[in-house]
Amino acid sequence: MTDTPVSEMGYEAARDELVDVVKVLEQGGLDLDASLALWERGELLATRCEEHLAGARKRVENALAHIAKEDS
Amino acid sequence: MKVAGWIDRLGSVWVEGQLTQINARPGTRTAFLVLRDPSADMSLSVTCSPQLLDRSPVPLTEGARVILYGKLSFYTGRGTVSLRATDIRAVGVGELLARIERLRALLAAEGLFDPRLKRPLPFLPRTIGLITARASAAERDVLTVAHRRWPAVRFAVEHTPVQGPTAVPAILSALERLDADEGVDVIVLARGGGSVEDLLPFSDEALCRAISKATTPIVSAIGHEPDSPLSDHVADLRAATPTDAAKLVVPDAVAERNLVADLRLRTAAALRNWVAREARGLEMIRHRPVLADPVAGIDQRGEEIERLVDAGRRDVLRELAKQDTLVLHLRARLQTLGPAATLARGYAVVQRMVAGGDPEVLRSVEDAPPGTQIRVRVADGAVTAAVMGKVR
Repeated sequence: MTDTPVSEMGYEAARDELVDVVKVLEQGGLDLDASLALWERGELLATRCEEHLAGARKRVENALAHIAKEDS
Repeated sequence: MKVAGWIDRLGSVWVEGQLTQINARPGTRTAFLVLRDPSADMSLSVTCSPQLLDRSPVPLTEGARVILYGKLSFYTGRGTVSLRATDIRAVGVGELLARIERLRALLAAEGLFDPRLKRPLPFLPRTIGLITARASAAERDVLTVAHRRWPAVRFAVEHTPVQGPTAVPAILSALERLDADEGVDVIVLARGGGSVEDLLPFSDEALCRAISKATTPIVSAIGHEPDSPLSDHVADLRAATPTDAAKLVVPDAVAERNLVADLRLRTAAALRNWVAREARGLEMIRHRPVLADPVAGIDQRGEEIERLVDAGRRDVLRELAKQDTLVLHLRARLQTLGPAATLARGYAVVQRMVAGGDPEVLRSVEDAPPGTQIRVRVADGAVTAAVMGKVR
């Protein structure tokens, strides 16, 4: 697992790492500390992803609203 | 008597000419004839015995070409000179044709038949000179046909004998008069059909030379189609018949007018067709989509852009939704894998902070003497704390 601060990660990177995290946790075999750390990072990654997506959706909707206003 | 003696001493001569009068009454001892030069206005009285006339193999009639052998004598009783013929030979048809042939060869050699000498006929002659016999079928044919073709036609008609001994001089003077007339643009020599002797004047050398010399174009219309006197060759144009001559010298006004009218109709029709064709072409171009609806192209592109914009929005939203779902699933799996559910129920995970290392899960109070830095993880996050003391 990379140690890049989650808050600095782009959506794709965060998502890809999240997928990896889930995969590793599913495989099991980690001690509690490691799995706990991994799980916590996964939660952060998921939150980061949700932030990214929410931001993107917001931008699209803003843009559409802007166009709709210009059209009317 | 002296004159008679001189004339008597002239001796016997051969004379050629045309018989213009034959006066042989039955029972008389002497026949009186008049011999005439066919080209010049000269005559000679001839006497002979009636038997001489009867013996001739060809019947001698007025107008016949003859060769006489005789002796000039002075008739003292009337003071006239006459020829006492002792031999008369008619110039036969074969002989005549042979002569014409010889003259034809002579004139041809002189270049009188040269096509380069032929003058063109005017399209519309002001006045047409016509030399023909008085009240002849030839005259009637030429005048009627010409008038029918062109009612405004003008003729200057010269009536002359067209056969016999007086024909050539009369035709020559008529020709001279018409040729001198400024208004006459073309001269027609017209004569109906006849025997070789009848047509003889038109093969006369003097006439042929006069025709050739004339400055006005001359049309020779002698006899029927097969007749071909020498005038046909020296004339500027040969017409088979007088009717034919009229057709040659006068345009058919009705036909010309019809032609002009027809051409006018055709040009007008052609122009109308052209206009109609162009109009049709224009109409077709007008109905082409580009011209019929100039904004169609723009509209089409506008729609295309709209479609693309819609597709883009749809795609981006769909992608967002897809990613939402993906992250949602990942989070759900993460929850089942991790302790989240347990934490949610109120449990907490306590970790001991290890200097320079990852925190370790606290499993025993022995591992946490007072002052130990710990991290308490609960459902919605973690707090750090310090161990205050052991509880027993």
